[in-house]
Amino acid sequence: MIEAGVLIDKNGCPFHWHLPEGRTGGSIPDTRSLWDVIWDNRDHVLGFAHSHPGGGIPAPSWTDLTTFAAIEAALGRRLYWWITSSEHFIRLEWCGPEKTDYGFRTSEHTPDWVGELRMYSDHETDGVELILTMGS
Amino acid sequence: MEEITGNLVQSTEARVNVTYSGQNGDLPDPVFFEATDGDVKSWVTEAVANGGIPGIPAASDADFGDFVVDRFAATEDRPYNLIQLRPKTPFGI
Repeated sequence: MIEAGVLIDKNGCPFHWHLPEGRTGGSIPDTRSLWDVIWDNRDHVLGFAHSHPGGGIPAPSWTDLTTFAAIEAALGRRLYWWITSSEHFIRLEWCGPEKTDYGFRTSEHTPDWVGELRMYSDHETDGVELILTMGS
Repeated sequence: MEEITGNLVQSTEARVNVTYSGQNGDLPDPVFFEATDGDVKSWVTEAVANGGIPGIPAASDADFGDFVVDRFAATEDRPYNLIQLRPKTPFGI
């Protein structure tokens, strides 16, 4: 199993699967391409989700938190950040006051794309960037 | 040399572009293309703090420590070197 990611639009739909080369069971590498997609869709993006292989309630790493903060600083607005494990699904958002202070909540409602994200984590597909037509 | 908005950019220099606070802008003056990442971030931080990048509002607390410096050599379509500062995007450990 390796980490995978997906961008979600304001309709709650996935529009960009982020499956770059170099993903591991514990990381997704820095890529310019992800930022380019976020910036090009800055008016439509609601947030980004990524998977943590394994079970239990996932928690953000320091890398996750500083990436959240950097992207939001560049965008000039806040996003939602979801993290899934094989069993649980949380949503994080900035709660302040420090730049890396993010609170989370679990949800009983699990969107369909969570299953797809877990599938991409289970199947090690490297170097794939899947861009869906907005609204599909 | 290529002239960009009145400021000549020599072959050893680069235009610096930064995205911050939902806006995108360039440092008014070119910098040495081989400047260190630390120097680039320092110049951009000072410029943003003072409102010195057209299009980007002044922000005294701007912090580019978690931004990445990307460098692009001149091309036929863009006949000058380019340095871009954008947020990092790794996740996990």
